[in-house]
Amino acid sequence: MPTNSKMILRVLVNGIAREDLIPVNMLLVNYLRDVVGVTGTKTGCDGGECGACTILVNGEPLLSCIELAARVAGKQLETIESLAHNGRMSTLQRSFHEQLGTQCGFCTPGMIMASEALLRQQSTPTDQQIKTALEGNLCRCTGYVKIIESVRTAIKLNGDV
Amino acid sequence: MQNKASVELHMVRPNQAAGARIPLVDGVEKVTGKAQYTADLEARGALVGAILRSPYAHAEIINIDVSKARALAGVKAVITGDDCGVAFGILPISELEFPLAKGKLRYRGDAVAAVAAVDEKTAQLALDLIELEVRELPAYFTIKEALADGAIAIHERREGNVERKVDDEFGDVETGFSAADLVMERSYHCAEVTHAHMEPHAALAEYDVERDLMTLQSVTQVPYYVHLMLSQCLDMDSSRIRVIKPFVGGGFGARTETLNLEVIACLLARVAGGVVRLKLSREETFLTHKGRPETDIIMKMGLTQSGKITAVQAQVAQRGGAYGGYGVITILYSGALLHAIYDIANIKFEGQRVLTNTPGCGAMRGHGTVNVRFAFESLLDTMACELGMDPIAVRRANLLSPEFETVNGLKGLSYGLPECLDWVEEASAWQQKRGAMPVGKGVGIGCSHFVSGAGKPVHWTGEPHATIILKLDFDGGITIFTGASDIGQGSSTILTQTVAQVLGVDYSRLRVIANDSAITPKDNGSYSSRVTVYVGNAALDAANNLKQILLQAAAVKLDCRADQVECLGEAYQVQGLPNTLISFADVVAQAIKGGGTINVKGTYFVPREHQGLGKQRGAAVGSTPGFSYGATVAEVSVDQDTGQISVDKIWVAHDCGFAINPMSVEGQVQGGVWMGLAQAISEQTRYTNGLHMDANFIDYRFPSIVESPDIEVKMIEPGDPNGPFGAKEASEGALSSILAAVASAVRDAIGIEMNATPMTADRILAKLIAREKQAKRQQPRKQEAR
Amino acid sequence: MEILPEFELHQPDSVATAVKLGAQTGAKYLAGGTDLMPNLRHGLGDPISLIDVSGIADMQAIENTAMGLRIGASVTLQQLVTNPLVLANYSLLIEAANTIAGTTHRHHATVGGNLCLDTRCQYYNQSEWWRKSNSYCLKYKGDSCHVAPNGNVCRAAFSGDLAPAMLVHGAQVEIWSAKGGQRIIDLDDMYQDDGANSLLLKPGELLVAVLVKPLPTFNTGYRKVRVRGGLDFPLAGVAVAVQGRGNKLEQVMIALTGTDSRPILLKGCDDLCGKPLDDAALKALERLVRTQTKPMRSTFIPNQYRSKVAVNISRRLLLDLLMR
Ligand SMILES: Cc1cc2nc3c(=O)[nH]c(=O)nc-3n(C[C@H](O)[C@H](O)[C@H](O)COP(=O)(O)OP(=O)(O)OC[C@H]3O[C@@H](n4cnc5c(N)ncnc54)[C@H](O)[C@@H]3O)c2cc1C
Ligand code: SF4
Ligand code: FES
Ligand code: FES
Repeated sequence: MPTNSKMILRVLVNGIAREDLIPVNMLLVNYLRDVVGVTGTKTGCDGGECGACTILVNGEPLLSCIELAARVAGKQLETIESLAHNGRMSTLQRSFHEQLGTQCGFCTPGMIMASEALLRQQSTPTDQQIKTALEGNLCRCTGYVKIIESVRTAIKLNGDV
Repeated sequence: MQNKASVELHMVRPNQAAGARIPLVDGVEKVTGKAQYTADLEARGALVGAILRSPYAHAEIINIDVSKARALAGVKAVITGDDCGVAFGILPISELEFPLAKGKLRYRGDAVAAVAAVDEKTAQLALDLIELEVRELPAYFTIKEALADGAIAIHERREGNVERKVDDEFGDVETGFSAADLVMERSYHCAEVTHAHMEPHAALAEYDVERDLMTLQSVTQVPYYVHLMLSQCLDMDSSRIRVIKPFVGGGFGARTETLNLEVIACLLARVAGGVVRLKLSREETFLTHKGRPETDIIMKMGLTQSGKITAVQAQVAQRGGAYGGYGVITILYSGALLHAIYDIANIKFEGQRVLTNTPGCGAMRGHGTVNVRFAFESLLDTMACELGMDPIAVRRANLLSPEFETVNGLKGLSYGLPECLDWVEEASAWQQKRGAMPVGKGVGIGCSHFVSGAGKPVHWTGEPHATIILKLDFDGGITIFTGASDIGQGSSTILTQTVAQVLGVDYSRLRVIANDSAITPKDNGSYSSRVTVYVGNAALDAANNLKQILLQAAAVKLDCRADQVECLGEAYQVQGLPNTLISFADVVAQAIKGGGTINVKGTYFVPREHQGLGKQRGAAVGSTPGFSYGATVAEVSVDQDTGQISVDKIWVAHDCGFAINPMSVEGQVQGGVWMGLAQAISEQTRYTNGLHMDANFIDYRFPSIVESPDIEVKMIEPGDPNGPFGAKEASEGALSSILAAVASAVRDAIGIEMNATPMTADRILAKLIAREKQAKRQQPRKQEAR
Repeated sequence: MEILPEFELHQPDSVATAVKLGAQTGAKYLAGGTDLMPNLRHGLGDPISLIDVSGIADMQAIENTAMGLRIGASVTLQQLVTNPLVLANYSLLIEAANTIAGTTHRHHATVGGNLCLDTRCQYYNQSEWWRKSNSYCLKYKGDSCHVAPNGNVCRAAFSGDLAPAMLVHGAQVEIWSAKGGQRIIDLDDMYQDDGANSLLLKPGELLVAVLVKPLPTFNTGYRKVRVRGGLDFPLAGVAVAVQGRGNKLEQVMIALTGTDSRPILLKGCDDLCGKPLDDAALKALERLVRTQTKPMRSTFIPNQYRSKVAVNISRRLLLDLLMR
């Protein structure tokens, strides 16, 4: 029988330091949604197949539905809730909103976080690079056309600053 | 109300909201993560619900022993078919489904029992402890098996496993065929597909024991129908039930009928006396299904030398799965929508909807028409080639003209298909490309149409088809109360724009409260693309009613007659006299003087002649205030080493009457055509002995962003007299056209005819190999002859 | 299911500790988790402990050694495709790695995890309910195979994309265990054609690094057949390295994945060399592929298709690379 089935997890979630007692076998997405209570991160599949649960860990995109919360100890987590500043949408969020990169919105948090990861690494990606960055993020509503346009718009707006 | 001092009244212009590209009114929530979907709703102390699913395809239940599960610590409710003896179903004529199976299990995945427990682990343990004893029955996974002599009825009330047979002839097809210069018949096959909305199914039910009140929040597109079925299955007066629809992550038809999980969640909550959250896995969401049935089609058509269609005959068989669902309507749509796109005098339709031991089918975007349209347009393409005619020209030879009435009594007041064809031809450089691209590349075309709302609601009550309430109060804010379900298609946005257009006010004054049966007026829901036209017209009516009140109030204030008042949206004045300008706030203050808060209502009735009440049989399904039309050109490349199709570009023109929000229309058309494309090239649900082989996103392959093409959209806006500002539907009409367009393009690229969807690489490669072999076989013979 | 089995989690920082922990019964190594975690969520496996090897420094390095480029098993695919040493001489590895899963997966998926990827089958990669309803199968919890009901060997397909590219680069693997210390074997010898047991690793053995040799005078390429442009596992994948003059092959290495329960380094390629790559040679290539690979019904997509495209893409890639 497992001996250390619970542990104290210390992480930074959206800039706030947390300390929680969690089961070792807890999925990160459940930690975020059920323990921390940030429900912006969605789950669309039974594990690793859709990208809806994408968050950033130390700036890199991660599928939180196939990661153990225990493994991100000491790291910085960013969810969709972290992007707005004092209630103002980030450029990327604004672009998704204004260019209709979101319809039902269910894929959107994951889509935006994966795009965010891309834009932090590469401020002026090509369309091909955008597609590659989002290849693991499924959307059933948009046909992706306006998602690409949204990311493109954000790139342009960032460039204009 | 605070007067906005900063408003520079002389600058005021009415808000030109209709036709504006505004973002979704609920978009901010979606991009910031604030939007709460059913699984996100906070519910402290909610129990975890879980469903035990049948491992058998067809079996008689002998006993379900739940005693061990009940005894497990932490289990608060265990229910089976014994806990609800009332069947439900979307169609009053086909209430075949129980929330939990009674007597029989009908497909692998059917709900057997359900538990509510303190946590997920306990719920799972409880399910494992339920003992199911059955007698297995022969199971039928194909139409043929289900119809075979001696097959046991899957439902007692459906002898021979036929849910519905349809046999309609309008005109006289035999005469039509004999007048044709070319008659051809082909078989087509379309695999079953499913909605695969990104949000898995979920429900949150709360039962108030003291007051005997039930509140359900769920992923539905039709809260009203869910309400009806809950009342029926829970045997509770509908006044004790409250149904709320939070944000919904897509639907595409999956959620246009009450789903068993919604009833199950409530049953569990009532037994447990508390709150139950039921979240289905992706696999369970697939198993709940209600998608587009596997369909076999034999299509026969007659054409004259000049391409005029003389007659069409379609035999359509649909594998409906274990329950009736929308099946009857689906098969009727399949026949009805053979009409009203081209001018055809003779149409015969033989349809058959069959019950099988697979997950039940239902309504899916492009309800009933998609597969039949694929067959129709593909045969037209084949016959055009045979006649040496351009596929666009053959369609032009068969156009209707506006204000038509078809042989089966369907009426349409607007018809933008000719302009759709013109645009796609030009934009795609069709004339330069068709038949002229290098081997492996090609272009193809398809057309399609859809209703803007079913003329007759599912449950006929005599009430208006839609109702909207507007509230205006001291604060100057206007609240739109609607029962219309925004599931991502943007209906709340369209309603906001409609009201803003009529009143001319800023969007900032408007807010939408939707889908809470305790607050908002009843609405039949989001299906058959009815919302823009039906609820839009009701909103138009409500806004006009409110405007009358405001004009009256302004008249008092301005000391003139109401018909002399000019409404500028945020201000009012005596017609042409800017110096009389008064603010909206002043008008509101005047309006609520004496009477207080203003509540106005708007309603919409579908005009009688569009309700399908006419003499013709069959027009009850298919009748609508207006048909939308679409034409699509696809450009593809086919890799002859692998048989893989890549779709390089899509041009689609959609007649949406008028685009209240062009950006939204583009988004809907792109999403719809893309969904059709997915069915055309890669999607299918398959079963092995009734076990679902594709109940995940690795095997159910809808396209990723990588291979999804650019989709260029053109809106054709002839304006329809029945639509709000002339609008018609904008999300389903063009979907069906893409399947045949891809097949047509594949023919253009490699000369191979594809009569089945999905047009997967293995199918194409097999055909290429077969052709190669045949060529080889013929070569030596030719040499011999020489 | 969102509930995982209960296990202990260990996060050792050295290979020595890792293999000690790995030697305990019921221990399972965990790297990026992009294969293991979905499987655990589907009830495939019930480990007593997970040994997280993603944080071991010695397994995260990429360095030139006398034996070639040494790539630590815990190097992520994202690190692999951006590493200057790899970029300089191993474009084939990058090409193959970039086709694996999705970008987000690749930020965490590792080289070692990819080489040790569990085999895949339509009757195996399903939920617990599904497999139970189908009375399980040979590979896990059951006693017969739904793919080859008369056989007693599991035919699940090895579906990793890196292995063929590595094989073409003459890869060797560095394997550690608590008892035996280190051993180095050819990557080709790490696999066997048994879907339930495709890795010839003894319990507790840890793949620590891969050693690959450059192919400076070769043209290389990887081609993968899959339904979608992203995410999908290979239905068939082929890595080819060619050295030629004009239309003559001088040396060629070909390896395939997705077709069998192990990656296949094609034997007999020498016979294609020293002569022009004409129809006869292409026929010979077809024979080599056909006789050495045997796709089974482990995917719903017909095995004949996988077999045919394995030949076709091998041929196409060979031609393309020779002409390049
Ligand atoms: C949607 C989806 C699509 C995918 N598509 C592809 C694809 O196209 N091609 C492809 O190749 N893969 C694909 N994968 C599988 C997987 O993402 C990759 O193979 C990945 O490289 C696995 O690496 P990992 O580090 O995540 O492995 P893990 O999941 O951590 O481990 C995989 C297995 O290897 C064992 N293991 C890990 N490291 C070691 C070690 N050092 N020594 C011994 N054993 C070890 C583990 O115990 C486990 O059994 C896909 C996965 C998903 C979810
Ligand atoms: S090949 Fe046979 S034994 Fe192996 S996983 Fe598939 S069904 Fe099971
Ligand atoms: S929910 Fe994580 S990938 Fe689908
Ligand atoms: S917006 Fe609905 S899934 Fe992407």
